[in-house]
Amino acid sequence: MPRESVLEAGPVADIGAMAASPYLPEAARVLSVRSLTAMERLFDLEFADGRALGHAPGQFVQVSLLGIGECPISICSSPTRPQRFQLCIRKAGVVTAALHALRGGDMVGIRGPLGRGFDVSELHGKDVLIVAGGLGLAPARSLIQYVIDERARFGAFHLLYGAKHPSELLFREDLHAWRDDPAVDFHMTVDRPDEGWRGRVGVVTTLFRELPPLDPQRTVVAVIGPPVMFKFVLLEVLARRIPQGRVYCSLERRMKCGVGKCGHCQANDVYVCQEGPVFTYGRLKALREAIE
Amino acid sequence: MLDAIISTRELLGRVDELLRTQRVIGPVRRDVPDATPPVRWFYEPVSSARQLDLGFAYCVYSPKQYLLPPRETLLEFHRTPDGFSARPVSDAQPTALIGVHPCDLHALVTLDRAFSHNGDDEHYQARRRRLLIVGVDCGKPCTPGVYCADMRANVADEGFDVMLQPLGAGADVERFGVRFGSPRGRAWLEAGGGCERPTAADERAADAWQERKEASFGRTLTTAHEDLPAMMARSYDSLIWEATARRCYSCGSCNLVCPTCYCFDVHDELDLSLQEGRRCREWDGCQLQDFALVAGGHNFRSKAAARLRHRLMRKSKWIGERTGGKGCVGCARCDRACTARISTVEIYNQLAEEV
Repeated sequence: MPRESVLEAGPVADIGAMAASPYLPEAARVLSVRSLTAMERLFDLEFADGRALGHAPGQFVQVSLLGIGECPISICSSPTRPQRFQLCIRKAGVVTAALHALRGGDMVGIRGPLGRGFDVSELHGKDVLIVAGGLGLAPARSLIQYVIDERARFGAFHLLYGAKHPSELLFREDLHAWRDDPAVDFHMTVDRPDEGWRGRVGVVTTLFRELPPLDPQRTVVAVIGPPVMFKFVLLEVLARRIPQGRVYCSLERRMKCGVGKCGHCQANDVYVCQEGPVFTYGRLKALREAIE
Repeated sequence: MLDAIISTRELLGRVDELLRTQRVIGPVRRDVPDATPPVRWFYEPVSSARQLDLGFAYCVYSPKQYLLPPRETLLEFHRTPDGFSARPVSDAQPTALIGVHPCDLHALVTLDRAFSHNGDDEHYQARRRRLLIVGVDCGKPCTPGVYCADMRANVADEGFDVMLQPLGAGADVERFGVRFGSPRGRAWLEAGGGCERPTAADERAADAWQERKEASFGRTLTTAHEDLPAMMARSYDSLIWEATARRCYSCGSCNLVCPTCYCFDVHDELDLSLQEGRRCREWDGCQLQDFALVAGGHNFRSKAAARLRHRLMRKSKWIGERTGGKGCVGCARCDRACTARISTVEIYNQLAEEV
């Protein structure tokens, strides 16, 4: 004779109960794929239901190809351009290699936006300095576009970009546009030139020489790049007496679950996928594993 | 104060009643004659209450696997030429966990907090809502080398639906003192009509039992429990990490057996049809070499010393600060499982000597 269990609920028969799963991706359509370098491609995406992503600059999404896997990718377009969102994806592993094989019209799964990006309201009214290194230009671009689209809300806008080699320069059309935009004080450099390179040569910190004096009281700084870059850029920034609460850094980590549980992205006690990836330097310097 | 008294016979009857409708998990004795120790206990499903050994010393693995299975399916998906469909799934079923010692009760609370902190993990919670937890008090240190008392985890006031305290000694326990932790625990146990009202003599016997228990626990940790997080904060740059890591094989055995380790990895499986598949999660371990490796090859914790420190900082400081749960319950399963005979409590004590 069947009896009622002492527990409140029986087996999970209806999936409705599981609808709240934080691991369920939403369908998004690839609108176009463009090659940026030999390693990076730019994906234009929109949700199948047409809604905007609703992100802040600096946030990330988890991109899924079901059957292959999921990987964290920062959003490289600004929420001020909500018709679609863009991801710049470097071919670095199994999932990203499969993503590189996609064409316009293909579908991917998206979870997000995830993490904490830039609080743009804190940036309004300030002079802005963005320092991007390598693939760091991708997340930086979400903020760069925001500043350009909301230009009247900001004071001076300085943008420094360093790449290893001319062949690794990302967003070439944007680079030209920023160079020609009188409202952007843009400088870039490469570590190693090739024969055709006419621009600057040197690591990104050498570009600080190009900057006018910064007003420590009204400047905010965003630093986004590979781990090795942070310390040297921070030295330049702190030498210009920018308060540590107005220096923002975006960290790369292995976000797996994206919801502060799985442990992979931890920098010391902090789940980067939750409290970050954008942190103030004031917060980061207490995290010994963040910058080493 | 006891809420009730129940005889062993009545209690086992209530467990058999549970077995009519749901899965029952509890400590089962396994004799392994040629091994050391020759007797071991494991949390396993039983088909009769008589299979439970509530007088067990300790279970080799913690009961965490019944809330966070070593491997579980999160999503089932179907790939089509023009996209995919995916749905979250759960095989959670009503389950009673009978016979959990105080240390593991504390650890289950830690997991509850981890999987509700900053948003619920529905896959965990679906199991948790269907789990009846019956604790049983241990009475004395289950083996030399445990430091549950140092971690204030040898007594549990929460984390159970019903808590049983053996009245009497050894394998001949005929009666249990009962404390209820939830209405559903009370409803289950009282439904059989076998609960008695505790007498003044029962209360005295229970108090005496508790006093004997407390007296049986020595202290192993040289740092007071409340000072441990601060001591660890001062130990961040200690050479002890590297010195200990010389012995560490980064095998992750400590993660595996730890009742409060809950880190996981996620991966996809695809059927041969290449259309149907599953997204699964699996236990992972922060001691494993690749745990913090990112695409492109940078490893944020490439040295064993950094991984060892990370684990012990979580256990002694960070988990507690983040969620309020105990990061370490002093069960010493990590010490027993370590292939290199590294002892967590010994590391704590070495660090404390230094700072």
